[in-house]
Amino acid sequence: MRIPAGDARRAVFAPLDDGAMRSEAVVRRLGSAIALGIIVDGEQLPAELQLAASLNVSTVTLRDALSDLRARGLVATRRGRGGGSFVVASQEALTELSRGRLRELGSTDLRELGDVRAAVSGAAARLAAERASDSEVERLRETLARLAAAEDGTEQRRIEGRWFIDVAAAAQSVRLTREEIELQFELGQLLWGTERTPAELAAAVAAHERVVAAIAAREADEARARTEEQIAAVTARLIGVHVRLTRQGHRRADHAGSYPEAAGS
Amino acid sequence: MSTPVADQAAAVIGSVVERVFRSVAEVREDVLAGYRAAGGRMCDADLTAVRDPLRARLSRDREVAVGMGVIVAPGLLTDRPLRMEWWQADTEGTAAPVMLEVDLNPASVGFYDYAAAEWFVVPRRTGRRHVVGPYVDVHGTDRYLLTLTLPVLADGEFLGVAGADVPVARFETLVLRELGDLAADVVVVNTEDRVVLSTSPRWLVGERAVFADAPCRALDEPDWRVVVA
Repeated sequence: MRIPAGDARRAVFAPLDDGAMRSEAVVRRLGSAIALGIIVDGEQLPAELQLAASLNVSTVTLRDALSDLRARGLVATRRGRGGGSFVVASQEALTELSRGRLRELGSTDLRELGDVRAAVSGAAARLAAERASDSEVERLRETLARLAAAEDGTEQRRIEGRWFIDVAAAAQSVRLTREEIELQFELGQLLWGTERTPAELAAAVAAHERVVAAIAAREADEARARTEEQIAAVTARLIGVHVRLTRQGHRRADHAGSYPEAAGS
Repeated sequence: MSTPVADQAAAVIGSVVERVFRSVAEVREDVLAGYRAAGGRMCDADLTAVRDPLRARLSRDREVAVGMGVIVAPGLLTDRPLRMEWWQADTEGTAAPVMLEVDLNPASVGFYDYAAAEWFVVPRRTGRRHVVGPYVDVHGTDRYLLTLTLPVLADGEFLGVAGADVPVARFETLVLRELGDLAADVVVVNTEDRVVLSTSPRWLVGERAVFADAPCRALDEPDWRVVVA
């Protein structure tokens, strides 16, 4: 398998920063990639040596991560000829992974993520209002129409991720686009596991529509303000879920219900 | 309205664009040769035959494009639905060209939806060559580009597009160098009022600029205007 197919895939297999909890970081990275459809159900992961080198972790760390992923049901290992590690895109496992992440992060981590999203996506929306061409605005509208028509939560989140990335591209900025891809990637590991109710989805689509209307009308401040507002609401919901999960931490094993508060991106 | 300054800028831009299209036409001929050799039923391997000439072209001196290749019409190949053979030189032009690999899985957040891209759609629809940009090639090269494409047609059948990427910054350097000192500032805008090139920091590349009454000269190709500011 060749790794660098597309910007999102390159981000998946890019070296991890130095730091603690590295096998956990590998698990989160691969979990995010599965959630976003960047690596697909049944896909064979690169050989251990190659994967470890690509992620800049030791083979010991990588094996820990793979055994964690196996225990979670996100990777299956087959022995013998044609064997290796294969991706299992299990929704339940992705849900559990994102809840675990929401539990272990602090509310300040989530606020910081929201701050950076507001800086990047807010600036992108403002610049897109000034710079987007009519055809780019049209494409944003098409993406929103697909979002409104999307059947399931997984597809909705992927389209929504693409929407934010497309706004950054419409801002004519390669660097903002890269930042947005990274942010959607980080967000991917938090937002998983909760279906949105039709009403919640409609509200999210309406919020995006206000942004695209401001971009089309060349109202830069409005585009930015509406984007920041929307991100602040998602951040607040994520923090709400985090607090709830943390307070329920001691009985999390028997608590498999859904958390609709984590619905928007 | 035409002025000497605008005419000069138009001539320089025209010659850079023409140089790039000459390379793209060579790519098209390679693809057509492969198509004829395969008896009109191409598969994945037949396309791989254009690889070596592509790499050689990207490595030669004075090549303007940093990326070049062919993008196949969906469903044309007998053994793969979507396929592109695209090679890129690195920005410094030092290392050997590398193949561009994109995510062609429609369900992925990083899907490169080439069949919907303007540089694919327009030559397919019009049967004519086309210049797109400046634009962010998101999920593709991740560069800020002008992309020049022409349709590959065999007896009227659309096989795909051959094309080349020129980074906006590289285009700017080439044109500004050729232009030298001018008596006035020029701003080049595309059909969507986006600045392609500017000799003044008052108008930035990538921004929109609408000129109502300034003297301007339309280029024959691409469909850009040179405004004397």
